[in-house]
Amino acid sequence: MERFQQLASDIVKLWERCGGDYLNGIKNTLILALVATAIGCVIGLICGILNTIPCAKNDPPVKRFFVKLIRVIVRIYVEVFRGTPMILQAVFIYYGLPYFTFNTVQWPSVWAASILVVSVNTGAYMAESVRGGIISIDPGQTEGAKAIGMNHVQTMTSVILPQALRNIMPQIGNNLIINIKDSSVMFIISFTEFFAAHRGAVGATYLYFPSATIEMAGYLTMTLAASFLLRWVEKRMDGADSYELVQADQLTMAAGTYSHPDRGTPFDERSKEERERIRQELKHGRTRGDR
Amino acid sequence: MSETILEIRHLSKSFGSNQVLKDIDFTVRPGDVTSIIGASGSGKSTLLRCINLLETPTSGEVRFHGQNVADKGVNAAAYRSKVGMVFQSFNLFDNMTVLENCMVGQVKVLKKPKDQARENAMKYLEQVGMAPYIKAKPRQISGGQKQRVAIARALAMEPEVLLFDEPTSALDPEMVGEVLSVMKDLAAGGMTMLVVTHEMAFARDVSNHVAFMKEGVIWESGDPRSLFANPQRQETRDFLARFRQQ
Repeated sequence: MERFQQLASDIVKLWERCGGDYLNGIKNTLILALVATAIGCVIGLICGILNTIPCAKNDPPVKRFFVKLIRVIVRIYVEVFRGTPMILQAVFIYYGLPYFTFNTVQWPSVWAASILVVSVNTGAYMAESVRGGIISIDPGQTEGAKAIGMNHVQTMTSVILPQALRNIMPQIGNNLIINIKDSSVMFIISFTEFFAAHRGAVGATYLYFPSATIEMAGYLTMTLAASFLLRWVEKRMDGADSYELVQADQLTMAAGTYSHPDRGTPFDERSKEERERIRQELKHGRTRGDR
Repeated sequence: MSETILEIRHLSKSFGSNQVLKDIDFTVRPGDVTSIIGASGSGKSTLLRCINLLETPTSGEVRFHGQNVADKGVNAAAYRSKVGMVFQSFNLFDNMTVLENCMVGQVKVLKKPKDQARENAMKYLEQVGMAPYIKAKPRQISGGQKQRVAIARALAMEPEVLLFDEPTSALDPEMVGEVLSVMKDLAAGGMTMLVVTHEMAFARDVSNHVAFMKEGVIWESGDPRSLFANPQRQETRDFLARFRQQ
C-alpha cells in the first residue's frame, strides 16, 4: 500500500514538472498516427488499383509491359518496406537525403520525415490488405460495373473499393493502433512524440517507473479511443438496417395472382370437375378411380 | 429489314483445349426478341458473355452496326454502355441503394447531370414496379425485386439491345412471374432483346426468333411457333421432349 502511495505522489510530482511535455507528446503522437494512417490508406488503395489493372493476352505489348512494370514496382515497394524495421527506415531516409546531396538538401522538419516514413510503411501493409479486400468482393460486382460501360478506374472507385474498404476497416483499425504505438520509434530522429516525453522526464528526474506508468495509461487511453472511433465509423458505413417504402409495390402485391406462363395459380378459374378432383385428392390422398 | 444491330460471324471461344463455342453465326435486327434455348453447358451463357465482351472471343467477329467490336483497338467500355446486360445473379452494386444503382452508370459513364439521371432512373424503376424501394439496399430486397432493379439499371443506360443471361434461373418459382412479366412488357414495347432462358413458354410466346444450342453449336433456329411445333432436327426434338414431360 505504501508503495502505491509513493507511486501516486511521484506521478503527481512528475506531472507538475513535465505535464506539458507529456500532453504535447500525446498531441504529436496522435497527429502523426492519424495523418500517417490516412496517407498510408491512400497509398494502399492506389497500389490496389494499380495491382488489379486488367491485362489480357491480346492487349498491345506496350500496355502489357507497363502493367507488368507497375506490378513489379509495387511488389518491390511492399517487400522492402514491409521487410525492414521502421526505426531503420527512419534513419535511412532522414540521414540519406543530406548524405546524397552533400548536405545541400535537408529535411525541412522532423515532422515531414516522420510522416513520410510512417505513411510509406503503413502503405506497404495496406497495399496487401487492400489486395485482400478487393479479392474478397464477388467478381459479379466487377461484371455488373463493366456491363454498364464503366472503365477500370470507375469500377474500382465507385463499386469495388467502397466495398473493399468496408471489409478492411478492421485492418485499418489495426494499422491506426499500431501506428499510435510504433510511432514511438521516431525518437531516433528526435521527433518529440509521447515516448520522447518519457525519455526527457526520466533524464531530469530518474523516476523511471512512475513515468512508465503514465506512459502505459496514456497509450492505452489513446488506443482505446481509436478502437471506439473505428467501431463507430464501421457502424456508420453499414448504414441503416431498415429502409422506407415510398409507396406500395404493385407487382409483388399481385405476385400471388399473377399467372405464370407455365403454371396456373391457386386463383385461376377451374372447371367443376377439376375442383371436385382436387377436393377428393385432399380428402383421400389421391384421385379415386385414377387407374 | 436491312438494318442490323448485331451480327455474329464465325464466333468461336475456347477455354484451353475446351471449345465451348463453334463457329456461331446469327443476326439481331432492331425490335427482335431472340431466345436462345438449350441444356446447361451448351454454351448459351458464354455466347452472351462473348457478345458483351465479358469474355474475349477466340476467333470470329461480333459486329455492332457493322463494326467489329472484337477488334483490338475498340473501346470495350463504350460499346458495353450501348449493350445492356442482365445477369442470372443480378450483380447489383451492394454498396448502393436501388436508386443509386440505376443512377451511377448514367452519371459516371454517360456524364449526365445528377437530377436528370435521377429522373430517368425513376422512370425505369416505375416501369419495373420498383419505385417504392429506391431507398433500399440490394441485401434488403427479394431476388425477384433485385432482378427487376437490375433490368431498370440496364434500361437506364438506354441501350440499343438488352442481353438477358438466364434472368429467372436463380429465382424462387413464385418470383419468376414478376420478372417475366416485366420482360414481356419490354418486348411488347419494341425493345431489342437477346434472352438466354430455360423458360420455354417465354421463348415460345414472347420471342419472335428462337435458337437452339447444343455443345457450342446452333442446331436450329427460326420462328418459335414452327420450331416448337415442328422441330427439324433430332437434337431439338430430344431437348424439347424432355421439357414437355415436366
